[in-house]
Amino acid sequence: MRASSTGRNIPAPSPPADGPVPSRGPAIAVAAVWGSLVTAVMVAVPLALRDRLPDPMATHWSGGSVPDDSKSFTVNLVVDLTLWGVVWIVLLAAALHGAGLRTRIIRINWWAFLFGWAVFALGVQGSTLYANLDAATWREAELPPWMIFAVLLAGFAVGALAGYLGRGAPDPATGRPAGPPPALRLRPGRHTVWVSRVSNRWLTSLAVAALVAALVVAGLIMVGVADTPAAWSFLAAAVPIALLGVATATVRVTVDPRGLRVGLGPWGWPARRTRVESIESAWAERRTPGEVGGWGIRGIPGTGRVTLMLRAGDHLVVRRTGGGEFAVSADDAERGAALLNAYIAEASRS
Amino acid sequence: MLLTLDLNDPRPLHEQVAGAIRRAIADGSYVPGDRLPPARDLAGALGINANTVLRALRDLRDEGLLEFRRGRGVSVLGRPDAHAVLVEAARELLAEADRYGYGPEEVIHIIRELS
Repeated sequence: MRASSTGRNIPAPSPPADGPVPSRGPAIAVAAVWGSLVTAVMVAVPLALRDRLPDPMATHWSGGSVPDDSKSFTVNLVVDLTLWGVVWIVLLAAALHGAGLRTRIIRINWWAFLFGWAVFALGVQGSTLYANLDAATWREAELPPWMIFAVLLAGFAVGALAGYLGRGAPDPATGRPAGPPPALRLRPGRHTVWVSRVSNRWLTSLAVAALVAALVVAGLIMVGVADTPAAWSFLAAAVPIALLGVATATVRVTVDPRGLRVGLGPWGWPARRTRVESIESAWAERRTPGEVGGWGIRGIPGTGRVTLMLRAGDHLVVRRTGGGEFAVSADDAERGAALLNAYIAEASRS
Repeated sequence: MLLTLDLNDPRPLHEQVAGAIRRAIADGSYVPGDRLPPARDLAGALGINANTVLRALRDLRDEGLLEFRRGRGVSVLGRPDAHAVLVEAARELLAEADRYGYGPEEVIHIIRELS
């Protein structure tokens, strides 16, 4: 029994479940005002210019500057408003929903979309209006090709800036258990290690399929049947996917007196070693692909948290002394974390 | 899988490895049906030869603890019987006693006093 176990029954003074959500109130106000403004502009400007626009208007350009599709004024207006309106409503709903803007990655995306997508929608509408302005019929409405890039670039740049400004405070280390980290007793004269290997059958199959396809295509190229740019570009994509897939579909995690070693792929190589001295603490945590954004190596820039996700379930998480967290899928992670903590304690004593 | 080797244990290495795996199964960290990490992984972590680990795994298979299946690796088949677990625990106790300078006779005496 641990000495601290008596304190376990007393509820810890943890923050309430729905915690402080810093930018939610202002975010809703900004979204409402800014969204209404954008919508008003998107309705008012085409109506004001209606006399100078052909009906139907050119609405699509392929390749060059010559239009290849048209829509009536009203349909085009509805399409443009939908392009913006749907995103706006989704963003407002996300902000109104309690859990909406709690994590940094969601805040960044939310602000980026609110402004970036508005600029993009305004740009799409503006460039269409610009092309059609004072054209006799829609076929004469020419759109300079640079405009498309300018609209994309402007939307992206504004989105990136808005996301950066709206990122808010870094996420608290949520998964960390409130109680003491797991620990076990080391005895002198013993060599204790912990080994875990996890592989994801589906990821492995995918990687193998990509590898087989790449080999088939390579064979076809070699016999001269398929020596085409398409075949080569397929190879250029399939080979890295196959190798990356094989490397991240199996992971071998080892804890020994030197620290943590994470070996990738069926041969456990390449491997990354984290020395005991550079680990602050370790614990086990349940994580799912949905939480970290999918399978494989998953990280959110700016948070310093990286997850090597192979499957939902137990993960061994280490916090480095320099900040930052690394989590890796591992069965029996609790014991691995306990052993790692024991070695950390031992290293700090000596 | 948590494995502990006693550096002062005079037994052959493969017996020690078998004992460590038996302990891991006995304490419930592996239940029947679970797959063991490959022998190569265990050997690499312990810093010993893979053949030593394979020999330990074969011994445990003969004991009915593990099962080898082609393409599926090694998985846990059953729990060690009480006798094997107690022998392992007694060995631990004797090693611990030895560290304090107590011989087997004194340990037996302590056990008699307790029971």
